[in-house]
Amino acid sequence: MFWRNNILAVLLLCCTWCLATSEEFHEALTFRPLQDGRLATRFTFTTLLRGAYPRDPSTLQEEDESQHYAIFPLALGQVLREYAVTELHLTLNAGKWDYDHWGYPDEPGVGTGAELWAWMGESAARSVDERWKGLRNALSGQFCASLGSLDEQRTTSPELTFRPEGSLPQWGTTHQLRHGTLPSEHVCTENLTPFLKLLPCKSLTGIASLLNPHRLFDADWHGLGVHVRYLENEGIEVRLSFQSVFDPVRYSNGRRDWSLRSVFDRVIDRSCPIAHSSEIRVAIPKEETAVAITPDSYTTHAGFVYFNVSNASKPLDISMSWPDEQKFEYATVSSAVPLTHVSVRRTLKGSSQSRGRLSVSITNHMPITIQTSYLESMPWLLQFYLHSLQIYSNGVSRDDLISIVSYIPSVPHVRPTLFQAILTLPPKSTLHLSMDVIKPFLRYTEHPPDAQRGWDLPPAVLVPLLHSNSSTLDPGLSNPPSGFEQLRLPRRMYTPVLLVDLATPDFSMPYNVIIMSCTLIALIFGMVFNLLTRKFTLIRVSPEPK
Amino acid sequence: MAAVLQAVRARLRRLLGTDENGTVMKIRRRNQFNNFIWKSLPIIRLILLVAGYAWMLAIPLPNLGRKTYIDENALQPGQVNTYWNWPDVLRADRYLADLEGLRDRNASSAEQAAYIVDEFKKLGIPSATQAYSFTGTSGVSNGTNAYAIHSSPRASGAEAILISASRISRTGDLNLRGISTVISLAAYLKGSSLWAKDLIFVISDDHLLGMQAWITSYHGSEQSGLVADPLTLSSGVIWTALNIDYPGHSFSHLGVFFEGLNGRLPNQDLINSFGLISVYTGGVPILLYDHRDPREVPHLESKLSIIPSWLPEIVKKQDAVKEYGFRAKNILRHVGYQARGQTSGVHGLLHRFRIDAITLFAVPATGPHGFHAIGRIIESTLRTMNNLLERLHASFFFYLLVLPSTFLKIGTYLPSVILVSVSMMFTGLGEWVDARWYQPKQSSIEEKAANGQAKSEAIPRPRPVLKALSIVLLTHLAGIALFYLRTLSLASGSETMSLLLFFLMASVPLIALTAHPSPPQAVAPLSKTLKAFNLCFASTVISVTSVLNFSLAAALAVSLGVPLSYSSPSRSSLGIKLAGYTIYAVLGFGWLVLCRKEVQEAIWNWEVLGAWFALFVCIIYSPLVLQAAIVSVLPP
Repeated sequence: MFWRNNILAVLLLCCTWCLATSEEFHEALTFRPLQDGRLATRFTFTTLLRGAYPRDPSTLQEEDESQHYAIFPLALGQVLREYAVTELHLTLNAGKWDYDHWGYPDEPGVGTGAELWAWMGESAARSVDERWKGLRNALSGQFCASLGSLDEQRTTSPELTFRPEGSLPQWGTTHQLRHGTLPSEHVCTENLTPFLKLLPCKSLTGIASLLNPHRLFDADWHGLGVHVRYLENEGIEVRLSFQSVFDPVRYSNGRRDWSLRSVFDRVIDRSCPIAHSSEIRVAIPKEETAVAITPDSYTTHAGFVYFNVSNASKPLDISMSWPDEQKFEYATVSSAVPLTHVSVRRTLKGSSQSRGRLSVSITNHMPITIQTSYLESMPWLLQFYLHSLQIYSNGVSRDDLISIVSYIPSVPHVRPTLFQAILTLPPKSTLHLSMDVIKPFLRYTEHPPDAQRGWDLPPAVLVPLLHSNSSTLDPGLSNPPSGFEQLRLPRRMYTPVLLVDLATPDFSMPYNVIIMSCTLIALIFGMVFNLLTRKFTLIRVSPEPK
Repeated sequence: MAAVLQAVRARLRRLLGTDENGTVMKIRRRNQFNNFIWKSLPIIRLILLVAGYAWMLAIPLPNLGRKTYIDENALQPGQVNTYWNWPDVLRADRYLADLEGLRDRNASSAEQAAYIVDEFKKLGIPSATQAYSFTGTSGVSNGTNAYAIHSSPRASGAEAILISASRISRTGDLNLRGISTVISLAAYLKGSSLWAKDLIFVISDDHLLGMQAWITSYHGSEQSGLVADPLTLSSGVIWTALNIDYPGHSFSHLGVFFEGLNGRLPNQDLINSFGLISVYTGGVPILLYDHRDPREVPHLESKLSIIPSWLPEIVKKQDAVKEYGFRAKNILRHVGYQARGQTSGVHGLLHRFRIDAITLFAVPATGPHGFHAIGRIIESTLRTMNNLLERLHASFFFYLLVLPSTFLKIGTYLPSVILVSVSMMFTGLGEWVDARWYQPKQSSIEEKAANGQAKSEAIPRPRPVLKALSIVLLTHLAGIALFYLRTLSLASGSETMSLLLFFLMASVPLIALTAHPSPPQAVAPLSKTLKAFNLCFASTVISVTSVLNFSLAAALAVSLGVPLSYSSPSRSSLGIKLAGYTIYAVLGFGWLVLCRKEVQEAIWNWEVLGAWFALFVCIIYSPLVLQAAIVSVLPP
């Protein structure tokens, strides 16, 4: 046993050494205590394929070059090359990200449900839409998610909001964006298992061994993400992330202390030998209260505590405690420094099954005017009446605060609405935007099996467009630490999803309905037929003989 | 075989008369039948009327009705372990002590709301207050609601459950224990991650007004006279709601109140689930409203029972009679709420937003239950509501609960009203036909001579349709005027106004007395035509209403059925005519003078909550009776 282990380790080390020149694997885990006692965690597993290029879509008809990866996930690599995807982002999330209390997330894609977007180069051989369809279905199989239903009725190209995070190769053809969200998709263990299979050390060693589904899926918020991008002069990077928000107050008797054991019910026994870097970062809260972090084998830098997992003594169990606190006390007054530049609330007013009013209120917390892009990519289940769009700021109608960038109306049963606009938010004020919507009738075959539930509508996405000097106004806290993968990500803000009631037939008694309507039709037909075919004659009726 | 068939067919043809001669016979037979119907119309309509009323009386019969059952499989009521326990009760007690302290120093509603919001915030649940003010004819009312929204772990926030308690109980006392229960529940429920829907906690001010302000703001619907702060926190679609009303120190039973505004009812599954949970999880017996079965409390039997005391002892002692009396009491209470379009509690304000809601009323008693039982029952009921994958849609929306676990399906009670309505329609159509034909009078000698021969032919005559319709229209317009005058007079607070209105409404139609009878052979009497319209319209109103609000239809059938059907112009003296007219006037407008409090309440319900009853009475009911009154004073 001992020998076998040793041989395995040696073999592994050899492999790692051989391939280190072309592939790199980095893993990191970040903890960020939040001001409401919760704990944000984020796992990132980054694989970099040095010197690689995305497949040029013009070569799609030719035989592809063979793919040999040691660390890079082959299952994903094959999909990427088959459909010539330059950049890909897939997130599967559960829960509602609370921007007001948690600030900006480390991974920006926090929309509830499934979200998939990809940049692909145009090609005469196979159109982008055709490849998008293939990609959806391939990922659907790969991650056991119903991404197949992200069909044309939910696909848009909101290029303003979803800019490429990497670089796009210059092939002489333009790149196109395809984006779709499926808010009713739930993330669960069946999605995590294939996710873990993409990792070089699976969930056996290293940071990934903390990915305990029993705990992760009990978190207040959790979501997994797959991000592929091409970095010029570097190669192709795959970033697998798992982000979650735990509530230690709920687990540990009203205190917000946590440890790897208490959060994940696991500790790190072995490090992943393949990883080039493997570190755990803990953000030190900015409050005054004293914080104790164990073990003390850490380095401190820029508000973060760093643990190097490969060097640390095993088993590694990191814990953080507030020794002066008997019980965590929730703040009763809202914090002076808002965590985000703006807060958004989106609701669907009205209770009728045919009309409603979509109302969005956006509060600017900053003392300066902020511009933000606003995206609604709405399935045709809710159709906008754009003429009824109203913008109010402090009770005054201010139509000058919106400039509509693009509006593609929906086509029932075919394509969704795409509404992109730039909003100007006056300093320290709230902007109310509302517009009438209608709820169309569906064909009876279009209703889902749980017809009476209604339909989930995708979140709206806002991107506050900050100026170059905005760093001075940054509310801070959530600023990601410098590190390998910390390119500055755009700050998208997702609103919570909505549920819309459409007029729904009573599916519980279809036969009654069929029988009733058939009877009525038969009666009407019978009467008309009788009148049409009857021969009318005159008959003299003499008075009745007594 | 073919020959046999042929023979059968020929025989049948002969029997039914489908040949040339047979057609004549067929027409003859049809005429005979029509004549029979026409001749026996008075009997038929009387039979229908009596059958309808008899059916209504039969509704509380002990043999009718079936046991309630859970129709939605997802609900799974009472299948969970509840963990609400004494520490949570202790917490509720502490909140109660604080609230009592606030009450003792006469804290304003804003102060109390601030306290509640602060407590929610200490629990880590985002909360806010909402101030509102309502300006109506009866003055201005202000208040402050407190509410908190717990975003459940892992939930998308698209769906929500509402748990509410109003500051003032339905009994008029303060609902301090209800409020403490809700806050303590919030603290407790936050501790589990199993909630699939957001939990919204609302402590509304006043009894109904606060919730009305809150729920209309939540759904963004505007209401004239109501100024409410916009809500700063939001959540998703509310499917189900529980309102907790716990005014006493302890309680013996939990009563369920379910009637909503304008006769809406929540899905029966909600009531049934709560009933099962209360009995099996909490061990608390449930009641409909606060009606205790008189048989269970012998020392209060005479007080609780509605069986009239003059009945002989031998009848009163019968168990069936007691059962009938108890069921009738429940039904009458239900009809009282539903017919008037009143809500029986705070829950009723939510129904119009498609929220299935009920009120749990902790019937005040000296024991044995308290926070411990109610907490467990609510926890388990919320768990059941949490199980819902779709809106409540199985089960029944039309039902008549006669006992907490016995109900009547729509098919077993609706026909009663329809029978009365059909009888009225037949009468109206009969009058309409009758108005068309003039039967010349024959002297007795002629009659004798004509006996056995063909009767003298009836002469067709025109019907004064336009005149009759204008009277109908005018009475309904008068109804609208009456409604606005009455509402205005309520504002001025003058009580003489209602007397004045009564005499105005009752006396103006007496102009009809001056109408001269027209020759019956030239034109049909106005009274007949008017009566035909009156009855046909009343019958239509009753049958249409019956599928929207059965109780209202039943009340109409009872109050309009006989008076309208048997209104007729009399040839007798002016005095008798006037006496008849007075009866109609009192029936139609007596409420103006006799039930002032009721009127005030109905108008408040209309202004504040949007209950249609006051408008309905003014615009539909009273004019219908007025038309019958006019019929009775018109010349025959």
